[in-house]
Amino acid sequence: MNRVLTCLFWLAIALVLTFITLPLAVVVAASLSPSSAVTFLPWEWTTVWYGNLLADRWLQPFLLSVKIATVVAGISGVLGVLAAYAVVYERLPGSTAIMAGLLSPLSVPQIVKGVAIVLFLSIIGLQGVLGTPALIAAHVVLALPFVTRMAATSLANFDGNLDRAAQSLGATKRQRLQHIVLPMIKPGVLSGVTFAFIISFNNIPLSVFLVRPGDTTLPIAVINYLEYSLDPVMAAVNVASMIFILTVIFLFEKVGGFSAQLHGGSK
Amino acid sequence: MNVNRYLPLCLTLMLSGAPGLAFAETLVVNSYGGPYEAIIEERIIKPFEEKSGIDVVYDAVGSASQDYAKIKATRGQPGFDVVVMTASQSLQGCKDGLLEKLDVTAVPNLGKLVPSLAAVAGPCGAVHEVQYMSLLYRTDKLASPPTSWSSLLDPELKGRIILPTFQNIMAVFLMEIMSVTRGGDMIDNVDPGFSAMAELARQSIGFEQSSAILESYIKDGTVWAMPFWNGRAQLLVDQGVPVDYVRPKEGTVPLIATLNVPVGATNKQAATAFIDFFLEKSSQEAWVTGYKVGSARTDIDIPDDIRKRQITTQADLESLKLPDLSRIADKLGEWGERWERDVVSQAN
Amino acid sequence: MSTIALTAPAAMPGAPARSSGYLVLAPSCLVLTIFFALPMGTMIGMSFMDAQTLSPTLLNYQRFFSDGLSLAGLYRTAVMSILVAVCVTVLGYPVAYYLARSRSRWRALVFALALAPELAGVVLRTYGWLIILEDRGFINDMLINLGLIASPLPLSKNLFAVVVGLTHVVLPFGILSLTTSIQGIDPNLERAAQMLGASRLSVIRHIILPLSVPGIVSSLLISFTMAASAYATPALLGGARFKVLATMIYEQVLFYIDWGFAAVMAIALLIMMLAISFLGIRYETRRGNRRSNREGEAS
Repeated sequence: MNRVLTCLFWLAIALVLTFITLPLAVVVAASLSPSSAVTFLPWEWTTVWYGNLLADRWLQPFLLSVKIATVVAGISGVLGVLAAYAVVYERLPGSTAIMAGLLSPLSVPQIVKGVAIVLFLSIIGLQGVLGTPALIAAHVVLALPFVTRMAATSLANFDGNLDRAAQSLGATKRQRLQHIVLPMIKPGVLSGVTFAFIISFNNIPLSVFLVRPGDTTLPIAVINYLEYSLDPVMAAVNVASMIFILTVIFLFEKVGGFSAQLHGGSK
Repeated sequence: MNVNRYLPLCLTLMLSGAPGLAFAETLVVNSYGGPYEAIIEERIIKPFEEKSGIDVVYDAVGSASQDYAKIKATRGQPGFDVVVMTASQSLQGCKDGLLEKLDVTAVPNLGKLVPSLAAVAGPCGAVHEVQYMSLLYRTDKLASPPTSWSSLLDPELKGRIILPTFQNIMAVFLMEIMSVTRGGDMIDNVDPGFSAMAELARQSIGFEQSSAILESYIKDGTVWAMPFWNGRAQLLVDQGVPVDYVRPKEGTVPLIATLNVPVGATNKQAATAFIDFFLEKSSQEAWVTGYKVGSARTDIDIPDDIRKRQITTQADLESLKLPDLSRIADKLGEWGERWERDVVSQAN
Repeated sequence: MSTIALTAPAAMPGAPARSSGYLVLAPSCLVLTIFFALPMGTMIGMSFMDAQTLSPTLLNYQRFFSDGLSLAGLYRTAVMSILVAVCVTVLGYPVAYYLARSRSRWRALVFALALAPELAGVVLRTYGWLIILEDRGFINDMLINLGLIASPLPLSKNLFAVVVGLTHVVLPFGILSLTTSIQGIDPNLERAAQMLGASRLSVIRHIILPLSVPGIVSSLLISFTMAASAYATPALLGGARFKVLATMIYEQVLFYIDWGFAAVMAIALLIMMLAISFLGIRYETRRGNRRSNREGEAS
């Protein structure tokens, strides 16, 4: 009986992992397939589709996505740390209400936020900011609550005794912030910033309303292209962008060593 | 401090950013993707760039009606300078004051177009291509060529046709021609049209928006017949795909494609230069032979076999049924709902 | 989408510089006001306006309830989200249990396989499913070539395809919340029960499952809300035949340009999500109350 159960358990895990990896494997396979129809024969492969990646059609959106994601990660990192600092460290009166306000965008679906922003910009006649400025602003709204929450959690979990010890030894507030508080919350903040980068880089529901010609992010360029064609170039673009994201995470991990945070506190 | 280390980086990126400011001598042209894109790049855009020194950014996003929605939502500043749409949007855009009026001083070649054809698009659209909705079919699958739009309902075509989505104007035209076929008309009494579309939906494998995806289905033999613009249909014939197309006996609707300039375009001069270039005799010849469409210029030199199958004269146009495009525009919202309710719901 | 439990940090040195504190908050508040609060207000306002004349009207709401299509879209959205929530939780549970309990060196690999795809973005995964499920895709191609079927099975452009695609997108989040919850169950309970002769099955039924109910609930909630607000996956895998609120909203904004009506649909989606989150919060509070009652009785 227990044997059967164990077998079933492993079978279930194997099936779920197959389910998770299947579409990714198919895309990788398709990107290496020599046939222009999307099929895969393991004994024939080519990297010819990857040659298309350097064309402006993909390079421009990619660079724009990287730029926007970097700026968004930077802005929401700074703003999120400041807000968490004010609410958690300074313990301003009404901090629970303030925190709820800061996190409120989380409970609104992205597509609703997207519609709201595009209506608002059109109504007040700012259609000129569609494109990069609107994308940055919208992505910051999206990412900021996550970064604030992660920074706040780090601050809340951080051992106040260290801070008090430093204070009693005569450290100024500035010194304490610089040498104790910030280093302690660095992993949390960095994982928040990485998350902000990824959220922005992969975003569709907000971006779809806010891009403009010549100012299109990579995921939107991809779904626009899918409207006309389902060819292996698409697969190559997607694989390349996944590799890019994994590299970014690897680099941030090297800098920040936040894997413990990202792994949801598993021991 | 990490935050400090990233801050200058972010600032530099922001300052170095601000694109759009650097776009002084670039022209953004919005049109369609797929085969259309390859042909317009080669036949029109490259020669234009060489001649004028202006850089063209090609934006292949959205159908004509989606492009118009974008123009409307941004009050004439959609971010593109020239847009390929159809006479429907040209008329509506002129009425809404969202499209620039074009005249012979800015676009001298407008004077070379057949006046009656040019007039269909009103003062805001430059007619650069004329097609009609044809009935495209697989010659290797159908025993005999279809002669009527009703052939789409033949039992042998069950599960072998595909329909355009409502965002593609072809859907509206097909509904109208079916309406006429069944004794209705093109605007006020379209009930027969919608009931015919419901039957077609039950017959079809589904809906697709872009011509590029639609044609992929007939190319690989999944679909044996479908409505299609005749220019694109001719392209398939020339590629050696076993297909042919007919103008069914009930007649058909022309598609008058236009070049337009949104009122808020940042680069109007380059935009009108581009339009004039597109209407040039040599460009029209290149376009007609490249994209296999008809032209509103009668003075172009093209092989007879191409001319024979295209709309190039006044007489050709009169043989077609041209609905009142501005009234269609007003009906679009109502028909869209009806399409969802009566047609899409019938698809398997 | 839960709010953070603001456990007061172990008595921080309470600084008197309150005004500077508010100053530090200002940028975040400014950004959220301009790009979140004002737009949301505008949208709610637009829902009571005629798109053409901008005069006040209730017609948008009336249309939502009477045109039949919008309510059908809402219904499709709900059905799709419920199915996704159930699939995610059922599929995610074994993996989560393994991740929570295993000490094997394979754990890291399973963890990476289960969660890394999340980082790859929605398009890549949806595109993968498109290739697999399409009429001329991987599965149909194979079955036709093998001669098992004559015409393609309807695997795409329907509820099935959208649920498969969304389950895939949401699964990592479900696994995370289930793992956290199962980790919270004392493994000694299982060991004790087994030593007392309980079979593995009854350990699962009587100990693990009941104790992980909070994780199951939070997995269901997260999956539901993520599915209901997804745009790209239903758009690409559902096509013209399976439209949910998100795709209908997009169409109203970018095709029909009826902002008032788009706003009403967006508000409907928002209300549905808030209602679901509210149910979740109420469940949490009730559970909290019950627990404190029990503790009260015990003392």
